[in-house]
Amino acid sequence: MRAPFRIIFEQRSETPRYLSGFVPLVSVLAALLAGAIFLMATGYSVSETYSNMLQDGFFSSRGLTDTLGLSTVLICMGISAAFAFQMNLYNIGGEGQGYLGMIGGAWAGLALGPHLPSVVMIPALLLIGAAAGAAWIFIPAFVRARLGTSEIVTTLLLTYIGASLVNHFIYTPNSYFRAPDVVFPMGRTVADSAKLTAIGSTRMYPTFFLVVVLAVFLYWVVKRTEFGYRIQVIADSPRAAQYAGMNARRTTMQVMLISGALAGFGGATLIVGEFGKLDPGITMLGYGYAGIVIAALARNNFAAIIVSGILFSGLRVGGDKLQITTDTPIHIGVMLQGAILLFALGGEAFRRYKIRAVRMQAVTQ
Amino acid sequence: MTNTSHEVVKGPHHSGDAAPIALSAHSITKRFPGVLANDSVDFDVRAGEVHTLLGENGAGKSTLAAMLCGLYQPDSGYMLRNGEPISLSSPRAGLQHGIAMVHQHFRLVERFTVAENVVLGSRNLSFTLNRKSIDDKVAAVAESYGLPIDPQAIVGDLSVGQRQRVEIVKALYQGAEILLLDEPTAVLVPAEVEKLFENVHAMTAAGKSIVFISHKLGEVVEISDRVTVLRGGRVTGHVSGRGTTDTKELARLMVGRDINLSTQRASHPTGHEVLQIRELSLESEGVNLLSNISFNVHEGEMVGIAGVAGNGQRELADTIAGLLSPTSGSISIGGAMATDRGPIAARELGLAYVPEDRLGMGLVPSMSILDNLLLTRDRRIIVDRASVRPEATRLIEQFEIKANDADHIARKLSGGNAQKVLLARELSGGRAATKLLVVCSPTRGLDVGAIETVRRLLDDARSAGQAILLISEDLDEIMSLADRILVLYRGAIVHETRGEAAQLATVGAAMAGLNTEGAA
Repeated sequence: MRAPFRIIFEQRSETPRYLSGFVPLVSVLAALLAGAIFLMATGYSVSETYSNMLQDGFFSSRGLTDTLGLSTVLICMGISAAFAFQMNLYNIGGEGQGYLGMIGGAWAGLALGPHLPSVVMIPALLLIGAAAGAAWIFIPAFVRARLGTSEIVTTLLLTYIGASLVNHFIYTPNSYFRAPDVVFPMGRTVADSAKLTAIGSTRMYPTFFLVVVLAVFLYWVVKRTEFGYRIQVIADSPRAAQYAGMNARRTTMQVMLISGALAGFGGATLIVGEFGKLDPGITMLGYGYAGIVIAALARNNFAAIIVSGILFSGLRVGGDKLQITTDTPIHIGVMLQGAILLFALGGEAFRRYKIRAVRMQAVTQ
Repeated sequence: MTNTSHEVVKGPHHSGDAAPIALSAHSITKRFPGVLANDSVDFDVRAGEVHTLLGENGAGKSTLAAMLCGLYQPDSGYMLRNGEPISLSSPRAGLQHGIAMVHQHFRLVERFTVAENVVLGSRNLSFTLNRKSIDDKVAAVAESYGLPIDPQAIVGDLSVGQRQRVEIVKALYQGAEILLLDEPTAVLVPAEVEKLFENVHAMTAAGKSIVFISHKLGEVVEISDRVTVLRGGRVTGHVSGRGTTDTKELARLMVGRDINLSTQRASHPTGHEVLQIRELSLESEGVNLLSNISFNVHEGEMVGIAGVAGNGQRELADTIAGLLSPTSGSISIGGAMATDRGPIAARELGLAYVPEDRLGMGLVPSMSILDNLLLTRDRRIIVDRASVRPEATRLIEQFEIKANDADHIARKLSGGNAQKVLLARELSGGRAATKLLVVCSPTRGLDVGAIETVRRLLDDARSAGQAILLISEDLDEIMSLADRILVLYRGAIVHETRGEAAQLATVGAAMAGLNTEGAA
C-alpha cells in the first residue's frame, strides 16, 4: 500500500502576474523568518534585533540616507550582473571589475591632477573607471565569444587577481597609489576636484540619482532598442538569431563589456564618493557579489533592481549598526543576504509549478 | 499489484472474438495544465491483433499510449492485463507485464552493437558479458519473427528502418507481449514500410498484440484489425475489420468534418529563373553534405525536394538562405549572386525561408507575434513596434491565426498557428518583396485542418508568381504539390521527374538510394 496522498508538481501553463511580485516578497519574509530562528537559537531577541535593524536601515533620517548612499554602488553592481544575465551570460566577476573601476578612478583622480575643474574630473574618473572595468572583462568576453569558454570561471578567477592587484598597489612601498606618510598602508586621496560633496549632512552623493537614471535607461535599451531586441533573440534561441543574420559573437562581446563597464562604474562611484582613495578594505565588502543577489531578487528587471538594491542596502546598513549598538554579530546581515538569495531562487519553482496534494487513485472496478 | 508478467498468451493467428483481451483500459482520464488530454477513454487490445489508435496531433493518442506502457499514470480510470487489475508506475513496471513501447525517436546507443543495444537495461546480465551467447540469443529472437538482423552490426551504421527493427527486437527480447508502435512509419521510406508491415504480421501470427499509433489513413486501413479514433481526448469512433474501412469515414471521425487535401497542380506557364544553383557542394569535416547540385526554380513554379531525413535537405536550405557557406559552386537569386553573402543579403534579394524547425529557428518562442514579425525585417536602432502593429493585426486576420492579439507569445500558439505566423511573415516580405520561398517540411506535425490551410497558402503563393522550393520528407505532399520533383540522396540529386508523371515506386526507390535513371 502506498500513502493515500502524494505531492505533485504541476507545470503552470501561465505564470499569474501577481506571483512576479509576490515571490520576491515572500522570499524576503522567509529569509527574515530563517534569520529569526537563528537569532532565537543563539539567544538574541528577535523583535529587538529586527526593530533595531529596520530603525537603523530605513526608519530614521540618518539610516535612510545611509541606505540610499550605499545603494548607489549596489544598484550599479545589480544592473551590471542583470545586463549580462539578460543574454544568459553569467558575469559573476562584477566584484573584480569593481576593483578595477576603483583603481582606474583613483589613478585618474591622482594623475589628472589638481588643476582640472570638477566638471571635467568627475566624468573623467567615472568613465575611466568604467573603461577599466570593461578592460578587466575583455579576456573572459573574448574567449567566451570565440571559444565558448565558461565566463563563470574566468570572471570569478579574475576577481581574485583583481583583489591582489588592489593589495599590490597599496602594500608595495612607493606605490603610486599609496599614501606616503601613514603608518597603516592606505591609498592616496584623490584631488579635491575629483570628489563630489555629499548631499547636506548625509553620506549620500549625487551619483545615486545618476545610477537610478542609468538603471531606467538600461530598462529602455532592453525593451525598446534593436540592441535589446537582439539580446532577447540570442538569449532565447541562438538558431533563430543565426537565421535572422544576427552576429551572436559580437553581441556577446558587447554585452559582456557593458556589464564590466557598469561594475567598473560602480567602483569609480566610490572614489568620487565616500572613499576618495583606493582602499584595500573594498575587498572585504563584497558589493559585486551582493549585486548578483540583487539582480536575482529583481529577476533581472532593471526597474526592480532599484528597489531590491535599496532593500539590500538597508539590510546591510541596519546589520552593520547592530554590531555597534548591540552585541549582535554583524554576520546576521550577511546571513540574511544569503538566505534571501536562496529563497528567491527556490521561489522560482512556485512561479513555474503549481504544487498540489492529491489523493492517490485507487484501483477500482 | 498482481504479477502476470510471464504468462504467455497463445492466440489464434487471426483476431476474432475468440481471442482473449490482453490489455484493456477503462474510463482513462488524464489532465495536463490547461488540457484534458484523455477524457474517459476506453481501449482494449486482443492477443494476435493490430488495434490502431488514430487521431490528429494533440488528439491524445500518444498520451494514452504513454499510460498503457507506464510512462504516465492516469488521473482516474483503471487498466486490466488478462483481466487482472494492474497499476503501472514506470515503463519498467509496464515491461514486467509484457508491455513495451517503440518510440518514434529511437533510444539506441549508436556506438554499441545491435546485441548490446538489445540487452541494454536487462537486469539479469552476468557481470562479465558472454558476447557469443548474447549474440546468439538476440539473433534467435530476431529470427523467430522474421526480423533478420546482424547482432554484431554497429547501430550507427544502420539505416533508419533497421534501427527500428532493433527497437522491436529489443522489446521482444525483453518479453513484450504487447507492443505499442508510436508513429512507426513516419521515418520510413515506402519499401521499409512494407517490410515493417510484414514484421507486424509475423508478430501477430505469433500471438503478440500490436497497438499501432498513426494519423496516416491509408496505412491504418491496410494494417489494422480494429481502429479506435480519438479527437480532442475523446473516443469518436470504433471501426473493425481489416481493409473494409473507408478512409473518408475515418477522416471525418478524426477531424470532425469533411476534408479535401488534394490540390490541383498549377498549370501556369513558368517564367524567368528565380533561383539558379550551379554545381553546389558543401563539405564539413571531410564529409560531403552536398555534392555537385545544380537546378533552377522559375517564377510560379514549385520544385519539390524529396528524400529521407538527413540526406542534405537541411544543409541545402541553409546554404541557399545564406546560413552556410558552400565549399564550391554558386547560388543566384533573381539574377544576382547570393553565394556566401549571408542571410541578410539573401533576403534583400527576395529570399524568404520557412525552416523545418519552427519554434527555435523560424520563430523565437518567448516573443510575441509582433516581435517575431520583426525578426527578419529591417529594425531601426529604436524598434518602432507601433508602426508594425497594424500590419501584424492585419496578417493575423488574413492568415486566420488563432491568437488573442499581436502580443500573443509564439510558444503558446498551436503548431498550425505557429506555422501560419511564420508563413505570414515570410510571404509578406520584409527587406524586399518575396520572390523565392524556401519551405522545409511545412506541414510536419500539423493537424489535417492546418495542413489544408498551409498547402493552400503555398498554392496561392505559386499562383502569385513566387518561386517555391518545397523540401519535405512527406512524399505524398511533394507528389501532390510539386511541379517538378528532385530526389536528394546522400547530398546529391539522384532522380528528377515532372510532378504529374511521378511514380511513387520510382521516387521511393530513388529515396532509398536504389539505382534509377533520372527521367525528364
